[in-house]
Amino acid sequence: MKLQEIIEKLSLKALTNLEDKDVSGVFISDMLSDVMSSAQAGNIWLTVQTHKNIVSAANLIDISAVLVTYDKKVPDDTIELANRFHVIILSSPLSSFQLASKLVEAGIK
Amino acid sequence: MQEKTCSHLWEMINVQSGFIITENCFRCNKTSTYFSFEERPPLEEYRDGEHFWNIMESAQSIRFDLKCSNCDKIIQYGELAGLMMCTGCDEKCEITKLMKKLEKERTWVYVAFGFFPVTERKQISTEKISILEEYFNQRRKSSRSKIKIVSSEMIGNIATCYAELIKDVGMLSLAPPEKE
Ligand SMILES: [Zn+2]
Ligand SMILES: [Zn+2]
Repeated sequence: MKLQEIIEKLSLKALTNLEDKDVSGVFISDMLSDVMSSAQAGNIWLTVQTHKNIVSAANLIDISAVLVTYDKKVPDDTIELANRFHVIILSSPLSSFQLASKLVEAGIK
Repeated sequence: MQEKTCSHLWEMINVQSGFIITENCFRCNKTSTYFSFEERPPLEEYRDGEHFWNIMESAQSIRFDLKCSNCDKIIQYGELAGLMMCTGCDEKCEITKLMKKLEKERTWVYVAFGFFPVTERKQISTEKISILEEYFNQRRKSSRSKIKIVSSEMIGNIATCYAELIKDVGMLSLAPPEKE
């Protein structure tokens, strides 16, 4: 599924520049080490983490987009780094559970 | 299966969670890092021979090995403390130069770190680093980007390197009590 389609269906806010990307699967964790061990390339990653190190973890695994839940404020240095390294950061006021349900409804597997 | 003919397909195995502990000796100012499986790393200063270690940071992380799913070859990564993405903090650093060259083709540069002190711990070999790079590239789906992993030995000046290891600082970690 196209990232743009997900952004529209779930009314997500883009905090960084956007790119045309495909999304396959959802990954939920607030630990960078979980991303390193268990996330899959192409996943949309739901987290409350906003430290700039999320950019390093997302790029290592080729995550399609980081989706920050509960509208957590993402620091400017994280956004700057994400733009520079082509990592997409999105945000939503909803919880991981609510977002995961909506992603399943939208047809993400 | 013959190893020579195997085009290895790596998978991560033996994933274990623990803490990366960073300690500093106030007497000689040496920094030591190690991986601990203990739930409660030492929070108090302790003496070890001539050193007086104080815990500086405790961050959650993982250690793991890689196994080829075709030929069952296992590569152990016990000496890997973590990976760091180069963000180009120092213009004169060789890794920054490499990063600037490769970012045009969307190849992200990561640095593999062993444990400190570098001279006292077995550091990760270049062969293991290239297998790690192969593993993370195999895990990527899109051919639009790649990663390159280099050794921390390439860092020009470690004291002025601002990038951080991928680890979970402050997440369920045990911080030493604030000193008044
Ligand atoms: Zn093999
Ligand atoms: Zn000492």
